Amino acid sequence: MTEATTPEQVGSGTGAGLSTRRLLAVLFREEWRLHTQLFGGWRFALFPLVIAVLAVSGTVALVETGTATETVIGGLHVLAFAFGLYSGTAGFAGSDMLENVFGRLSLLLSSSTTLPLSRRRLLGAFLLKDALFYGVAFVLPMALGSVAVDGLSATTPLSIGLFWLSLCLVFAVGMATTVALITVRTRGAPPWAIGLAIAVAVVGIWATGGLGTLRTVLVPIDGSAVTAGGLTAVTLVVAAGSLLLYDPTYGRPSRTATDRFAALSEALPIDNAALVTKSLLDLARSSGGVWKPFVSAGILLALVAALVGVVDSITGIAPAPGIFFGGVLGLSAFTTYNWLTQFDSLEAYLTYPVSIEDVFRAKRIAFVLVGAPTVAVPYLAAVLWFDATLPDAVVGAVLLAGYALYYYGLTVYIAGFDPNEFLFDAVRFATFTLGVAVALVPTLVAGFVVIPPSLELVAGLGVAGIGLGVVGIVLSSRAGPRWDARYRTE
Amino acid sequence: MGAIHVDGLRKSYGSVTAVDGMEFAVDRGELYGFLGPNGAGKTTTIRVLTGQIQPDSGDISVLETDPVAEPIETRRNVGILPEQGSPPSFLTPREYLEFVGEVRDLEPERVAEQTAMWADRLGFESKLDTLHTDLSRGQQQKVMIAQAFVHEPDVVFIDEPLANLDPLVQEQVKQFLVSYAAGDNAVFVSTHNIDVAEEICTRVGIVADGQLVTERSLTDDDGDESLLEVFLDRVEGEDARDTPTLEHLDA
Repeated sequence: MTEATTPEQVGSGTGAGLSTRRLLAVLFREEWRLHTQLFGGWRFALFPLVIAVLAVSGTVALVETGTATETVIGGLHVLAFAFGLYSGTAGFAGSDMLENVFGRLSLLLSSSTTLPLSRRRLLGAFLLKDALFYGVAFVLPMALGSVAVDGLSATTPLSIGLFWLSLCLVFAVGMATTVALITVRTRGAPPWAIGLAIAVAVVGIWATGGLGTLRTVLVPIDGSAVTAGGLTAVTLVVAAGSLLLYDPTYGRPSRTATDRFAALSEALPIDNAALVTKSLLDLARSSGGVWKPFVSAGILLALVAALVGVVDSITGIAPAPGIFFGGVLGLSAFTTYNWLTQFDSLEAYLTYPVSIEDVFRAKRIAFVLVGAPTVAVPYLAAVLWFDATLPDAVVGAVLLAGYALYYYGLTVYIAGFDPNEFLFDAVRFATFTLGVAVALVPTLVAGFVVIPPSLELVAGLGVAGIGLGVVGIVLSSRAGPRWDARYRTE
Repeated sequence: MGAIHVDGLRKSYGSVTAVDGMEFAVDRGELYGFLGPNGAGKTTTIRVLTGQIQPDSGDISVLETDPVAEPIETRRNVGILPEQGSPPSFLTPREYLEFVGEVRDLEPERVAEQTAMWADRLGFESKLDTLHTDLSRGQQQKVMIAQAFVHEPDVVFIDEPLANLDPLVQEQVKQFLVSYAAGDNAVFVSTHNIDVAEEICTRVGIVADGQLVTERSLTDDDGDESLLEVFLDRVEGEDARDTPTLEHLDA
């Protein structure tokens, strides 16, 4: 367990209470121990190396295959921004998922309720710590990708440093955005209004042709120093303002629900229907409801659609949309499974007369029930929008189903019931990445090279989709006994 | 008739020995108190006896079932109230008890009756349709008590039964546990609370460093020492009672 501040540390004997420097030091130590306790020191310490290898090799592959350097640089900034959006939520252990993920682990974060520390100050320090910690541990390895763009020279350290600062800035922008949104929520703004405001902003930027300007602002390394300075100032103002306006006393009123369990469980003609029903209701009633997996798949769809557009604009040839979208959208299996495991723990199920294998089987059924519409809707939209041929659309659907099952099996087998945590375990993350690459890279290459897809390619990919789907089912079936042995012999 | 049998139980987590040669037996009709300081091995013993984890060695049985070989059958026959609160769940208490009833193969009508009875007994009728995650810790504990007894098991394992409960409900739960054990069931209560153990248990076992250091029947008037004194003697030794802290406690 991580270490909380002691009364002596709070007092520090200075009469001024805990200094911000000391507070940050304790927070850093807690962060490090949290990760090393979960995964073991070296497995976590290696994680930045894995990111560096992925960033450099991915960038080299993209540049060598003709992708424009601006696109690669923009892509890395999008990743940093997205990671910032995610990291910004960590300090606010208020939402259902965050309470589950961080609530029991971050003792110091919750100590504002028992120690004479302002929650606002504690959150500010926590977010600053996160920005610094992840800026070094994760964003810096990503910045090494600039080597592939600029090549090696005497100025390489300088270019890496500048690229890192640029990525760090958009990472901070992402964090500040999330903090601002959570602050608005604590001031009573309803979620639908926040969602609507975001949608209006996105559509407005797109409709007014502001995407180019937005890119200039959010890729500071390609813009002017004035723009970067302005973005820095705005980010600081937004972050500080959000912390000032944040209402730490915000709490949701108790929610009630009509009894849906019995009817839903009875409607599922399967073994362990109770376990499946619990998973579905937990997902549906948590913040964001059943739309969370759709949003995750929608983000994936938007990224792939943008990539297809970029490839088209560079080469003049659009990749086979069915194969392309089918292969990539299957990756949403990870996020869907992640959502399905956020609201319970395997240990809790061990007090009932069910086996761990039963629990995993139930999760698989819940995954299929939630995951199928989650990927089917965006896939259908993609093949219609990009005018896929019938063979391409059919083989893409087979790939989508097969690969989704495969990615699911891979996730469950490697990460068990904690897919979110294994993202920070170097060995498991590298294994997962390799497993994904084995399926995805050849598929994407085929989708790029053979246009329109030949019948032989369609047949070959169809067999690959079915085969990997079977592998996924086998992996997820074996996950039960594998994790049962681990939990019961801990 | 024997309900729980433990002989030579050992369990380690890496280099840490949690249970080191535990031996005891509990009969039907007993309300057995399992007393010990933090880290004495109480929760680990319960987790082994309910088939949640496997021991390193030892012979154990619960209602003549081996929890190591038949963990699910064991858990089917017993009720469990775990030490840690339930994880965040978005079921209502009514739905949660339906869930427990279904995994325990109970008839829906029986679950509905039990739900109504427990809600009335512990006073959470008005919360039956509130999401579990939005309940107070005390209300959550009441629901967890109900789930441990909803199938009227012959043996119940309870880790800190009165945690987070208000005094009125504590009294009701204590009376219920006494009457439940008297109905030819075995109730195994792990607790730090010596007063509660002394008040409701028929027999207590005191554990320290993973071993049962002594047992004492509370139905007979055996000895002049109070249970607290026995506990301090066995767990800390005679010297412990002379420390300023303990004098303060006595006062």
